[in-house]
Amino acid sequence: MTAPTTTTAASGPDRPPQPVPEPAGTGAVADSPRRDRLREAFRWGGLRLVALAVLLAAWQAVVSAEVWPRVLVPSPGDVWRQFVLASTVHDGVRGYGGHLLIEHLGVSLGRIGTGSAYAVLAGVPLGLLIGTVRPLAVVLEPAVTFLRTLPPLAYLSLLVIWFGIDEAPKIWLLVIAALPPIAAATAAAVRTVPGQLVEAARALGSGPTALLLSVRLPCALPEILTGVRIAVGVAYTSVVAAETINGVPGIGGMIRDAQRYNQTALVIAGILAIGLSGIVLDALLRLVERIAVPWRGRV
Amino acid sequence: MPRTEEPDTRAAVVELAGVSVRYGSAKAPVTALDGVDVRIHAGEFVVLVGPSGCGKTSLLRVVAGFERPATGRARVRGSLPRPGAGAGVVFQQPRLFPWRTVGGNLAFALARLGVPRSDRPGRIAELLERVGLPGMAGRRTWELSGGQQQRVALARALAAEPELLLMDEPFAALDALTRERLQGEVRALAGRLGTTVLFVTHSAEEAVLLGSRVLVMAAGPGRVVAELPVDLARGPGTDVSALRSSPEFARLRGRLAEIMRRGAVPGP
Ligand SMILES: Nc1ncnc2c1ncn2[C@@H]1O[C@H](COP(=O)(O)OP(=O)(O)OP(=O)(O)O)[C@@H](O)[C@H]1O
Ligand SMILES: [Mg+2]
Repeated sequence: MTAPTTTTAASGPDRPPQPVPEPAGTGAVADSPRRDRLREAFRWGGLRLVALAVLLAAWQAVVSAEVWPRVLVPSPGDVWRQFVLASTVHDGVRGYGGHLLIEHLGVSLGRIGTGSAYAVLAGVPLGLLIGTVRPLAVVLEPAVTFLRTLPPLAYLSLLVIWFGIDEAPKIWLLVIAALPPIAAATAAAVRTVPGQLVEAARALGSGPTALLLSVRLPCALPEILTGVRIAVGVAYTSVVAAETINGVPGIGGMIRDAQRYNQTALVIAGILAIGLSGIVLDALLRLVERIAVPWRGRV
Repeated sequence: MPRTEEPDTRAAVVELAGVSVRYGSAKAPVTALDGVDVRIHAGEFVVLVGPSGCGKTSLLRVVAGFERPATGRARVRGSLPRPGAGAGVVFQQPRLFPWRTVGGNLAFALARLGVPRSDRPGRIAELLERVGLPGMAGRRTWELSGGQQQRVALARALAAEPELLLMDEPFAALDALTRERLQGEVRALAGRLGTTVLFVTHSAEEAVLLGSRVLVMAAGPGRVVAELPVDLARGPGTDVSALRSSPEFARLRGRLAEIMRRGAVPGP
């Protein structure tokens, strides 16, 4: 009730005198772009909502027309019901396979996080080496490219033979999938550090180690973070593959089991859960980038 | 045995003998410098003037250790020039580190010197004061104007209190008033600390105001064509704006401009 009142007051008779005490109109200049941006955000957000509604309506229309059997193409309502069932405790059963959907997702996110963290820990130093030591680049760069082009399912079997079916092969798979983009981005970024800045640092007495850690690394940080964002994305797309064997709890394991029992609606609910959490995570990583490297694009 | 000092018996801080610098490929070489001889003694303030492209930056880069001469001999305090071996450099562009704040850029220089962390804020404040940017330590480098950035670059080079200071048109991007202030600052500082300076400029006025000796260069290929000793009063106390209005300054500036005009004409 309070919000509308203030709005009316702001647009009411109190409104006109407000700009007067503001000094020299600077407030107006600083204010209007922000309001424009807000209006812009609303407009595009609205467009997105409309598109989503159209999509859902089309989906429902296809299901109602019974073009395909319901078991293959469930309705949005079916998916929602499965989503609710998987997210609650019902008849003494906890979610799906003994875990709530959010727990499946949490376990998968944990694996993605662990895999990506190891990939950063190994990939950044590897990229630094590749970017600065020529002989290493000659040997390691093709290896990284080779790994990068492999589909994770191709090496999953090997990892299972080596590490069994518990956590180890899953984490290894995610590390192998996420490492190449980080190493490649780091190597490329370190190579393209402007020579002018390197000279300035050398003139100030920087040796090779200081150059690497205090100039090349921070200068490369924006691109490294972009590499990390890409790597997390790759880990995301690989986690379902990692969880095809003994993957419960885990969103990939859940989808796999649901597929086995022809629970199409639950498969779709799982896919949506992965996709939506991916969007949120990407937005978070973008935010981290903006805060951590405000100098992006200014080198 | 006290003797009258002759320039050649003193140890030269900078010594270039027959130095040539070539760029480009073997097929299409660009000769930026051709057979340049320069000796700079301790405490001298040597100014390089000459038209654009005559090799002033190239000469400075040889002394800084960034460019190896194709022929000839380059020595700084008797050894091969090496970056970071005690020569402070102010480049033609500010070249600040954008991932560090203004203060962080100065801290970078202080850290290389081994100044303890706790002493750095005080030194940074003092350096910024000196270049007319008090209280700017927390600012982002890209928020600064071009002239302000160049002044931070100057402060960063001064942070090490180098015995040899190489400056490449450091004041080109400044307004007249700020330029005069910094000219006075650099002049006084060099006098006070006995810093040896090699300073590049396009301006005859700046050359005469700052230099104890001016070397005039010409292009095609780059070489030193004339030398002008300047005997304007030196020392910490001398006021730049007072110097500028002196008849001696006007006379020297006129002579230098005349030499520069003649130098610009290739060959006799
Ligand atoms: N890296 C390079 N590669 C090829 N040619 C170069 C390079 N650097 C300089 N040159 C050439 O060498 C010559 C001298 O250049 P230099 O930068 O030393 O001139 P300058 O006197 O400093 O000019 P300005 O006053 O414009 O700064 C020019 O003809 C230039 O084109
Ligand atoms: Mg130049």
